[in-house]
Amino acid sequence: MADYSNTRFLIVDDFSDFRSSVKAMLRDIGARDVDTGDRGEETLSLCRQKRYDIILHDYNLGTGKNGQQVLEELLADKLISHQCIFVMVTAESSQAMVLSALEHEPDAYLTKPFNRASLTQRLDKLVERKAALKPILQALDKQDPAAVLAACEALIREDKRLVPLCQRYQAGALRELNRHAELEKLLTGILADRALPWAYLALGSLLQTRNELARAQELYEQALKNFPMLPGLYDGLAAVLAARGESKRAQDILEDAVKLSPLAIRRQMQLGKLALDNEDFGSASKAYRQAVDQGRNSRFKSPESYLGMAQALIAESGEDTLDKRAQADIAQAMGELDKHYGDDKVLQVRATLMQAKSLQKSGDPVRAAKLTEEAVAGMAALPQFFSADAALLVASQLRELGQTAASNDLLKSCVEIYGDDPAVMQNVAKQTDDPQILAGGQEAVDFNRQGVRAYQLGRFGDALELFRRGLALQPKNISIALNTAQSLLRLGGDKAEADLLDECRRCLDAVSMIPPSDPRYERYQQLRRRAFEQ
Amino acid sequence: MSDVHEGLDFSTVIASTVHDMKNSLAMLVQAHGQWQAQVPAELAHNSAQGVIEYEFARLNGMLVQLLGLYKLGVNQLPLRPAYHELEDFIEAQLARYQEVLDSRHIVARCEVEDFQLLGFFDQELLGSVVANIITNSIRYARSALLVRAWQEPGHLVLSICDDGQGYPPAMLAGQSNYVLSLNHSTGSTGLGLYFAGRIAELHERNGVRGHIQISNGGPLGGGEFRIYLP
Repeated sequence: MADYSNTRFLIVDDFSDFRSSVKAMLRDIGARDVDTGDRGEETLSLCRQKRYDIILHDYNLGTGKNGQQVLEELLADKLISHQCIFVMVTAESSQAMVLSALEHEPDAYLTKPFNRASLTQRLDKLVERKAALKPILQALDKQDPAAVLAACEALIREDKRLVPLCQRYQAGALRELNRHAELEKLLTGILADRALPWAYLALGSLLQTRNELARAQELYEQALKNFPMLPGLYDGLAAVLAARGESKRAQDILEDAVKLSPLAIRRQMQLGKLALDNEDFGSASKAYRQAVDQGRNSRFKSPESYLGMAQALIAESGEDTLDKRAQADIAQAMGELDKHYGDDKVLQVRATLMQAKSLQKSGDPVRAAKLTEEAVAGMAALPQFFSADAALLVASQLRELGQTAASNDLLKSCVEIYGDDPAVMQNVAKQTDDPQILAGGQEAVDFNRQGVRAYQLGRFGDALELFRRGLALQPKNISIALNTAQSLLRLGGDKAEADLLDECRRCLDAVSMIPPSDPRYERYQQLRRRAFEQ
Repeated sequence: MSDVHEGLDFSTVIASTVHDMKNSLAMLVQAHGQWQAQVPAELAHNSAQGVIEYEFARLNGMLVQLLGLYKLGVNQLPLRPAYHELEDFIEAQLARYQEVLDSRHIVARCEVEDFQLLGFFDQELLGSVVANIITNSIRYARSALLVRAWQEPGHLVLSICDDGQGYPPAMLAGQSNYVLSLNHSTGSTGLGLYFAGRIAELHERNGVRGHIQISNGGPLGGGEFRIYLP
C-alpha cells in the first residue's frame, strides 16, 4: 500500500454521510490531510487556495455544476496539475454522463457503493501509474510538447505496459507541434492493430485540419460502424459534412449524437447553428435553449447561444407576431447576456438589435426604432469587426428595421474584410443586388488568389507584388493583409530591413480589429509577434 | 401526432425501475456500512453479516446485468475498449468482494501469466461479467477461488475457477445456447452466462469475435469459466 500520510485529499459530495464514510476509509489507510466540500463551486475555490494530490469527486451534486463540468474547469483554468489524481465517483454508470466526457476524462470512475479494499486498490494503482508517467505529466504542466515527446519515447523503451498510455500523449504533443505526417503515421499504425476510439477521433480531426474531407468522412463512417455509441464520432462526421456543404445530413447526424448524449454545450450550439442554416428554426431554438440551460453552470457558456436562441425564436414565428412566451424568452436571454458580457461592446450592439427586432415583431415599433438607433450609434465606435456570420445577420436586421444605409455600409465592409470567402459573398448576394457592393472586392480577390499561387511555387517576390496590389484595393481584407505580412517577413528573413518591417506592421495594424473568434486569429498573433519583436 | 395513451413499453419500465433500485441499493449498502462501523466488532462479524454482504453484492450484480441486457436489447450498450493491465483489472474485481470472501473464509488468488500482460477490452462491461461470475463462484466454492489470465495465439483468456462441485451436466451440454439452458437450470446462472457470451461477442478484432466456455475440473477441481477475447 502506498504511503498517504503526506497526500492532500479532497472529497466532494453532497451527502455528508458519504463524505464522512470516505474520510474514515482514508484515515484508515493513513491519510492525515483530508478536506471536504459539498458543491462543485466549492471545489474550484478550494483548488484556487491549495494544491490537492487526490480529488474524489461526486458526479451528480444535485444543484450547480456536475463533476464533469468541475473537472473541465479545473483543467482549463489550470487549478490542478496533470499530476493530480481526479477520481469521478458515480452512483451509477449513467450513459449520458460517461458519454459526455469527450475531452477531459477523469483518471478513474468509481461506482458507489465501494468498500475500503476497492478504494485502496484503485488509489494505489493510480498513484503508481502517475508516478510512472511523472516525466510526461511534468512536461505537460510546463506546456512543453517537445519534452512530452522525449519523455514518451524514454518511457516506451522502459516499460511496455506504458505504451498505450504514452501513445495518447505522443499524439497530443505531435498535434501541438503541427508534426502532421508523424501524427498520421502514429495513428494509422495504432488503428491498423486495434480499433481505438480516441485514435479514430484524433485521425479524423487531423484529416479535417488538412482539408482531406473525403478521407475524413470515410474514416468517421468506418469508425461509427465499430462504435455507434460514441457521440464524438458523430461530432466529427457532422463537422466534415458541414465543411463539404452537406448541412442537412450534418444536422441529422448531430441530432443522433444529441439523442445519445445531450449534455454537451458545444454540440448543442453546433446543432443550433446547422439548423439555422437549414432554416429548421424549431430545432435551432430547441438546441440553443439546451446550450443556454447547460451553460448556466459552465465556463463553456457562450454568448452565441443566447443570440442564436433569440434569432431562432424570431425566425420561427415567420410572418406572425411573436407570441408572449417567445418575447419573454428573448427578453430574458438578452438580459442574461448583458449580465454576463456587459462590457463587450460588439455583443451589446448585437443584443440591442436583437431586442429591437423582437420588439418590431411584437408590435412595438416605437421602442424598436429607439433601440435600433442606439445600436447604429454604438456600431460607429466598435473596437472590433463583427465575425462574418454576425455581420451578415446584423446587416439583415438593420435592413428589416429600416436602416438601409447602415445595412449597406456594413455589407460593404463585410465584403472588404471577408470578400475572399465565397460563402460570405453568396450570403451578401442574398441581401443585396447592388453591384457596387457585390463587385467591390472582386479585383482584389483575384490578385490574392494569384499571389497565393505564386507563393506556393516559391516565387515570393511576385507573390508580394500581387498581394500588395490586392491590399491597395482592400486594405482591411484580413486574408490579403496576413498574406502580405507573411510575404514581407519571408523576404526579409530574420533581419528584415526597416522599411519592409514598417510596411508589415502597417498592414497588420490595419486588420487589428480582427475578432478573436476568427479562425485566422492565431496566425495574426504569430505574425504580429514576428513583426513587432524584431 | 401519434396516438395518445400509447402503452408504455414494458422493458423501458423495467429498465427505469432497475435504475431506481440500483440507487436504492447503493444507499442501503452505504447506510448498512455506517451502521456496522458503530457496532462492536464481536457483533459486526457474524454469519448474518456475511449473508448480508453477499446478497448485496449479488443483487447489485443482477441489477447491473439486467440493465446491460436491456441496453443490449435496444442496441444501446456502448463499447469503449482500451488497453488495461490484467493484474490491476483482476485485483480491482476481487477487492470488491473482500468482505464477502473473508466472511466465508474463501481465499481468492490472482495469477497473471506475465505481469506485463495488457488486455484490450471494455473495462466496465468485462467488469460486470467477471463480477457476476465471481459472485456465482463464491456461492459454490468451498475454500478457494482462482482468477487467471494468459495469452493464447489470437486470444486473451480470462479464467475464473473454484473448488466447488462444478457446473451441472445439463449446462455443460447446453453450452452452445445459454438461453435454452436457462429453461432447464435453476436460478439465474444461465442468464449470467448468456450475458457473458453477448459481452464477449461485442469484442471483435478483424472479424474474430470473443466467446465463453465452461468446464469442470480445472486447477481447483470445481467449475471453470473462461472468456476468450480476440
